[in-house]
Amino acid sequence: MKEDRFKKILLALGALLTVLFCLSPFFYMALTGLSLHPDFLLPDRPLCITLSHFHTVVASDSVHFLAFLRNSLIISTASAVICVFIASLAAYAITRLPVPGKVFLMFLILAVSMFPPVSLVSYLFKLMSALGWINTYQGLIFPYVAWTLPLSLWILMSYFAQVPKDLDRAGLIDGCSRLQILVKIIFPVAAPGIFSTMLLAFIFAFNEFLFALMLTTDHSARTVPVGIALFEGLYGQIPWGEIMAAATITTIPVVILTLIFQRRIIQGLTRGAVKG
Amino acid sequence: MKTERLKKPLFHLPGNLARMPALDSERWIAFGFMVPLLLFVVLFILIPVLGTLVDSFSLDVTYLPKRFLGLENYDWLLRDPGFWQSVRFTCLFVVVSVPLEIALGLMIALVLNEQLPMRGLLRACVLIPWAIPAAVSGRVFELIYNYSFGAANYLFRVLHLTDGPVNWLGSEAGAFLALVVADSWKTTPFAAIILLAGLSSIPDDLYRQAKVDRATFIQRFTRITLPLLKPVLIVTLLFRTIDALRVFDVIYVLTGGGPGGTTTSLSLFGYHYFSAGDFGYGSAASVILFLLAFALSIIYIRLGHFEQEVA
Repeated sequence: MKEDRFKKILLALGALLTVLFCLSPFFYMALTGLSLHPDFLLPDRPLCITLSHFHTVVASDSVHFLAFLRNSLIISTASAVICVFIASLAAYAITRLPVPGKVFLMFLILAVSMFPPVSLVSYLFKLMSALGWINTYQGLIFPYVAWTLPLSLWILMSYFAQVPKDLDRAGLIDGCSRLQILVKIIFPVAAPGIFSTMLLAFIFAFNEFLFALMLTTDHSARTVPVGIALFEGLYGQIPWGEIMAAATITTIPVVILTLIFQRRIIQGLTRGAVKG
Repeated sequence: MKTERLKKPLFHLPGNLARMPALDSERWIAFGFMVPLLLFVVLFILIPVLGTLVDSFSLDVTYLPKRFLGLENYDWLLRDPGFWQSVRFTCLFVVVSVPLEIALGLMIALVLNEQLPMRGLLRACVLIPWAIPAAVSGRVFELIYNYSFGAANYLFRVLHLTDGPVNWLGSEAGAFLALVVADSWKTTPFAAIILLAGLSSIPDDLYRQAKVDRATFIQRFTRITLPLLKPVLIVTLLFRTIDALRVFDVIYVLTGGGPGGTTTSLSLFGYHYFSAGDFGYGSAASVILFLLAFALSIIYIRLGHFEQEVA
């Protein structure tokens, strides 16, 4: 019994420390975004709460933050949707059909997911320059789809493998083509898995940095991570209030997504990693 | 499609259902389903990697004619102190941050694996650092490490840990520590989630039996948890190692490779040359990083394969 109480205290402490560890930077971020001056932690510096930084970030024309946010949302959503559709075609083929060289292909795709992005970014830059796709949505969407495909394929395969193959047979008997079976039968049955995968693909595209840094030069397609990383003031001083306000606005949708879909994200992540 | 329809009358014979469609057409359909994925992977990943390899053998500087050099870039690289510094930094970064992340991640996973009130909310909290772009959290840490008013020096002052403020990002050791902390904060959740999956697959009966046998908490951890978690631990370790090897975002934002190039990772080293227009030299550095990561991923894939065969 004594050990049980000890354990309970230890657990509560562990949970508290975990929450502190994970969330305290966010409180500091939001507080700085709301504070008139960033140095409110210094002794005899008052904390004046204001929304002016948020207002500047959203309203100022020179900041382009809303453009970054819109670019990020469009690029990540498009990448996630395209990626999951292409990955589910492949996942269906691998789990259901006689794909020639299956084992080799899967190893190749797994190996591809571990390539360092820096080892392809220079060539992508040349390719996109040649195509005139620098500063365009498609210039980022195409590499992002390719980049998120291996993980998506891996996760989807584990979901599709659980769908009974009798359903395919029933579909074939009813005269469905394989594509119809995938769209009309597998998609509805594996919808939770497909949704998890799409969420993960979205998060990966949303967080990507190096490609977006190399393949954009202005605000027409620049994404939020690069926008915030390159956010500098006009007069050499770092505008901490504005940066943290922008960071807070970026964080809010991600936090809402994680709070709602925590279970789905964890399920997808563990399937992607442990099954490998 | 045609053959499927032709074979349709066979459906009342269950034994023939499995091989109902002709094998040849199945192959073609399978191939067709794989084509979009292969096209994307080949066009936007494999060809660029090969292109980088080709570039690494040439003098390839913006506005200069491209010229084949053979191994000259690599020769320069091996005599470049900046390159060796980035190799040293990258290795040190991996060796320090990955074990730290896994140890912290294991502790968090142990907590999350217990029956706690609001367990879902707690798990969501752990996910948030992972889900935020590293560039964004990097900026937050840049503020935390600010010399004159950042939270790190505030805590040190309030707790009387040092005499004066610490110059986190301006000193070599400070910048290294700052990067390790910022990176661990961001990636520990990932380790925790993967390890949690491993923990939850350990049957409760083992622990119950151990309790009956009066094994202590520490005995249960070292005799049951650790051995059974070993496969997942190894997978997490390799996964994190490969990821830490290619670290870029957080360093670009937090230190920019400084002070004096002491925190330049291999990725950042390559990027610096790319952004200066020297594609050949940057490519050579990238190829070396690629080979390192590739060797590790082969080990990883072998292990994963091994696990599958055992299971």
